[in-house]
Amino acid sequence: MSKIWLAALPVPFVVLLAIALFVLVGVLALTTGSVSVSVAGLFGFTALDEMQSTVLWQLRFPRLLLALLAGAGLALCGALLQNASRNPLADPYLFGIVSGAALGATIATILLPDWQLFTALFAFVGALLAVFLVLLIGASSRWQRLESLLLCGVAVSFMLSAITTTLLYLSEPFAANRVMFWLMGSLSQASLTHVALISPLVLLTLLLGLLYRRQLDALVLSDESARSLGVNVQPLRFIILLLCAAVSAAIVACCGGIAFVGLMIPHLVRSLFGLSSVALLLGSVWLGAVFLALVDTLSRSLLPDQELPIGVVTSAIGSLFFLSMLFKYRRG
Amino acid sequence: MGQTPVVEFSQVQLCIHQQQILTELSFAIAQGQFVALLGPNGAGKTSLLRLLQKEYQPSSGLIKLQGQPLSSFSQSELAAKVALVSQLPGPLFDLTVADVVLMGLIPHKALWQTNTEQDLQQLRHSLELVGLAAKQHHSFAHLSGGEQQRVLLARAVMQKPLLLLLDEPTNHLDLYYQHQVLRIAKALNITVIASIHDLNLASRYCDRLLLLNRGRLVADGTAEHVLQQELLTEVFRIPCLIDQNPFGDCPRVSFGYKDIR
Repeated sequence: MSKIWLAALPVPFVVLLAIALFVLVGVLALTTGSVSVSVAGLFGFTALDEMQSTVLWQLRFPRLLLALLAGAGLALCGALLQNASRNPLADPYLFGIVSGAALGATIATILLPDWQLFTALFAFVGALLAVFLVLLIGASSRWQRLESLLLCGVAVSFMLSAITTTLLYLSEPFAANRVMFWLMGSLSQASLTHVALISPLVLLTLLLGLLYRRQLDALVLSDESARSLGVNVQPLRFIILLLCAAVSAAIVACCGGIAFVGLMIPHLVRSLFGLSSVALLLGSVWLGAVFLALVDTLSRSLLPDQELPIGVVTSAIGSLFFLSMLFKYRRG
Repeated sequence: MGQTPVVEFSQVQLCIHQQQILTELSFAIAQGQFVALLGPNGAGKTSLLRLLQKEYQPSSGLIKLQGQPLSSFSQSELAAKVALVSQLPGPLFDLTVADVVLMGLIPHKALWQTNTEQDLQQLRHSLELVGLAAKQHHSFAHLSGGEQQRVLLARAVMQKPLLLLLDEPTNHLDLYYQHQVLRIAKALNITVIASIHDLNLASRYCDRLLLLNRGRLVADGTAEHVLQQELLTEVFRIPCLIDQNPFGDCPRVSFGYKDIR
């Protein structure tokens, strides 16, 4: 009981707290950086010069939106996949999405080195190809076991990585460099086009997740128990997989590899907000968004005159988080 | 009688991986009967319940629910009529007791409908029925096995079924709740089919006993009719004695060997 301490607080209070933190992180992200923008300037109380105005609205604002969306989307997919597969280690990236995207990006970089746009497009196609392969193998085993689907994901990941590495080995050295940077993840290319591409997918997934909240709760106990309540277990699971694959593929294509968000955020949310699907999904969307916006701000401002790749920062935080969980489990 | 039976099996066979699980089962269960499924391990009790859940399809023969072929019901139509209480593997992710009981609304609610005040009243009522009203906000995973079983019974009550299937409902329960669970189920006044290992509980609470052995129905009727010394000794492969239950008008079975304690 005592575990879920935020759930014991009145709902309006929690919502207000969430909104306050959200706004705070947003303001922090918009005002921090090499060109300083004051809070007063942000809200229009003092005038901004042209430089400030350009940085704020052309660079930081789309970047903040993309960070919020990517964080929300990855955490949402993690939460959905973990509940639907009853596996606490399920994560959007387990289904070969990143290695598929990497292969796509590699092919684009080698064939069309001057076309940035193609990198994202090929990465998206590559990610979907990986998920398609995993689902194909899953379908051939008739969805009997979820574990086998996860194993397929790992197998497909390694296979595609092998192809990527071979291609890079045979290609010119700069291509390997570009792909490496892309894989580390970055929001520096953020534009409103990216936001417009990802947001409908994330919203649709969230909406479906909320509509099927009772069914998702039922899946957590056991398949048989869910079926006895009239839940069409396999179709529901298939739709969740497909949607999460599309969302993660779109995010990876736009932002590169940002690891650990989908795995870590739902775990945190379960201990903060409780465990029914509504609390889990809304909490994951909120915390994922706030977390990635904060991490992006950090990665922009930790080193002077230079950006850290955001994937590096999330991986570092993620590994620390899981080590702390390990010690917590050991203690009790 | 003249009424349509709630459940009707006609010449039902079930084969799984070329193994004969159930053979030529035919019986009908009337509205409101409390039926016990008895038999040793592997007799086919759980498989029979699974057939009624459409988890398995009969290899031949016909199963009817309220006069309609079972195969004509969709999963959610079936869930609005048939509820199941069975053993659960330990849940990985936790839910509150209220979350679990409210799942019983799934067959009756459209996706966008929220829980009404009436639903919450029903929730409290169901939990009171199983003696867990105080634990509504507790975590389900941290309850004892017996408490979890009673929460699942409350969920089944919430489902407002026509037919309640209980798969070994008294496992993990202490003596008090073994009786309590069956009393609650009986008080619901709906048709119940329960697979039970304890013949004396079946004898005490059930209107009708179905005794299965190696997939065949070997006896069907009241406790007095089914609980016969030679039959039980043969089916369960242990000597048995039958006398009168001092608490009521039903037979009592004792199993055991005289020479070894």
